[in-house]
Amino acid sequence: MAGNAVAREALFALRETIARIEGKVLPADTTCVGSKAEKPFAARPKPGEEPSSRFLPLGVPAFDAVLQGGLPLGELMEFRGAELRDAGAVTGFALGLCVLLHRHFAKVTGRPLVLWIGEKVVAMEAGLPVVQGLQDFGLPANHLLYAAPKGIDEALWLAEAGLESRAFSAVLLEVRGNPARFGLTESRRLSLKARAVGCSLLLLRQAGEEEASSAVFRLRIGPAPAVSRRLPDGSTLPWSLGNPAFHLAFEKSRLPALADFFLEWNPHDRQFSALPLPAAASGEKPQPAHSGALLSASGDRPHRPQPLGHVVALHRAS
Amino acid sequence: MRLTALDEVAERIGLKKLQGVAEARAIHPKLEVIMADAAADRRFLAAIADWCDRYTPLVALDGEDGIFLDITGCAHLFGGEAALLKDVLSKLQQFGLDVRATVSSSPGLSWAIARYGQETIVGDGEAERALAPLPLSALRLDEQMVLSLFKVGLRQIGDLFHKPRAPLARRFGAGLLLRLDQALGRDEEPISPRRPVASLSVERRLAEPVQAEEDLLHLALQLAIALKPELERQGLGGRLFELLLFRVDGAVLRLSAGASLPLREPKRMAALFRDRFQALHDDLDAGFGIDIIRLNVLQSESFSAEQQDFSGSGNEQAGLGTFIDQVAARFGADCLLAPVGRQSHLPERAFLFVPAAEVVQGLSKTPPLAAEATPCRSERPLRLFRHPEIVEATAAVPEGPPVSFRWRRTLHRVRRAEGPERLASEWWIDAKDTFTRDYFRVEDEVGRRYWLYREGLYERETNAPLWYMQGVFA
Repeated sequence: MAGNAVAREALFALRETIARIEGKVLPADTTCVGSKAEKPFAARPKPGEEPSSRFLPLGVPAFDAVLQGGLPLGELMEFRGAELRDAGAVTGFALGLCVLLHRHFAKVTGRPLVLWIGEKVVAMEAGLPVVQGLQDFGLPANHLLYAAPKGIDEALWLAEAGLESRAFSAVLLEVRGNPARFGLTESRRLSLKARAVGCSLLLLRQAGEEEASSAVFRLRIGPAPAVSRRLPDGSTLPWSLGNPAFHLAFEKSRLPALADFFLEWNPHDRQFSALPLPAAASGEKPQPAHSGALLSASGDRPHRPQPLGHVVALHRAS
Repeated sequence: MRLTALDEVAERIGLKKLQGVAEARAIHPKLEVIMADAAADRRFLAAIADWCDRYTPLVALDGEDGIFLDITGCAHLFGGEAALLKDVLSKLQQFGLDVRATVSSSPGLSWAIARYGQETIVGDGEAERALAPLPLSALRLDEQMVLSLFKVGLRQIGDLFHKPRAPLARRFGAGLLLRLDQALGRDEEPISPRRPVASLSVERRLAEPVQAEEDLLHLALQLAIALKPELERQGLGGRLFELLLFRVDGAVLRLSAGASLPLREPKRMAALFRDRFQALHDDLDAGFGIDIIRLNVLQSESFSAEQQDFSGSGNEQAGLGTFIDQVAARFGADCLLAPVGRQSHLPERAFLFVPAAEVVQGLSKTPPLAAEATPCRSERPLRLFRHPEIVEATAAVPEGPPVSFRWRRTLHRVRRAEGPERLASEWWIDAKDTFTRDYFRVEDEVGRRYWLYREGLYERETNAPLWYMQGVFA
């Protein structure tokens, strides 16, 4: 019996170690020998632990469910844009998360700053952050530090030093493509560092391929048509561009995500909300964005839908 | 081409300055002639002056071939004036330089004796005696003046001593008497040191030169520890530090490192230099070793000591300061930037990136850019291109939004557009005929949102307005 207990003890210690490596939390009762040892190790918070201390819910239930409760704090997360012209969408979504993290940390601890590390290549091809634009988006510009490293080596060093300094609520690391010098080893190192200091590291991979990394999840972010601006009376203003919308697909996550997500960022409320469908499918037909008077639609063309009903008798020809 | 300088051998065989090269070659066919390089000479002189920093912080260049050292208050550190002079001369001789030097109470006197006299140390009351037999050019006069003095029979400096001053001044100008007074020490003559004198400075002379980076860093830490009490006494914290490494072979390496907040913690000072060392890496060549290491505080500010609470909060600011310093020391101050808004309605001028170290103290305390600064504007994009990129757009004339545009060789069809937002040029900065811009926020078929503008009003400013892409929205 004693031998059995010792073996169990060893087993638990091993499980605990594995759980720690995987970043999961052990249920409190599994540490006592002989209780429900067969209970699977879920990433559920301990009973005494506030769930919000490890996760930051986005407020979109389906999305939070895939993330097992919300945005994990103090982890490496990867956001990938397939093309460089999607840089706006990738940046926007990641900045939205930064705003949430920023608000959360400003409340919890006094860490108001966000560090944005943007490789020079990306800055040249996709542009620099704009103070006024960030403000419109919900992030006060005086809470941002922007680092412009020359190469990936400098960028990685900056990311690690930034995490180490514990002065930031979030660190954005923006890279172009899949640099050879930023492989699994480096990403593992950064993710361990992020976990150790409890600061989230958001990796933006602009125009990059899918690549194995030690990020806790990877999202592919694409553009999505925005819904029209909402008017106070509940209707929408036709042909206008409302809040930014994003098309998200999980490429790597602990729980499988079956469908893509369409989220919208509300800069005034500073929160994400779900879009039911991309706006293109919601009834608005695409039309040229010409504000001038449209010509009347020409009739009698073969592509026009035929009038309903049957032709019983043709008009007289003469 | 003429000879501008000769070495000892050339002088011995009878060549002269300003002699033609062809003539000299005719006399000595094996003559080796090197082109004169004034810039290299100046660099060499500057390097010697750097080396002289080990004796005094006040080192000034004098013309093309001289250096002034102000050793007031420094001589005793080297065992007196004579010992100092001997040390300077012997060390420079070891470098292969033929140097003459004089210690005296005024720069003019030293200049005269070093170039024309024999003595090495001139005491306070001996100026007249030492100067009297020297030729007039020892007074740093121009040739014309020397010639005209020569014509009236004045050949030595001693001849001027007892002449009445007023006629001399009337005939030869005030310059002559000024030079004479400067040489005799009657008139104060300042020298202009090459570098500002550090407010605080600590140095360490080593019996054995060191080469290893760790040893140098350890020494830097020791110096920083020695610096701390003085900083505390004055209530200061350093903002800009300089580490001087005097190499055995005479070269002087200077490393400077700035701190974003006033700093007096020795470990953090040493950490700054560790980052600098790592950034330099191969450029830092300790050669045969470093024999003097000195830490200067070039800029300091008052240091407000804060008591830390038990929870350890307040570390954020310190952590941030450390991070900014680390980055600045390693990659330069331009690597880490903070965006700052400016008063301009043109988007590319409405913000600016400044080094984070400059704004760190006001960071996150300054109010966000006031909304009333820009009373009415549409949304701005998240990212702005450094230079607007030209696109080929199809749009209705005169003022319609684009229907489609070709950007970076890809055709985008515009699904929806908002605009225009018309921004006039800033005539007080730009030329008068700079075009007005009409900005449109457009969304393509997939949902990418761009910021385009048309430059020039159709038929009012131009007949062929151009379209530009300036930024992307989220």
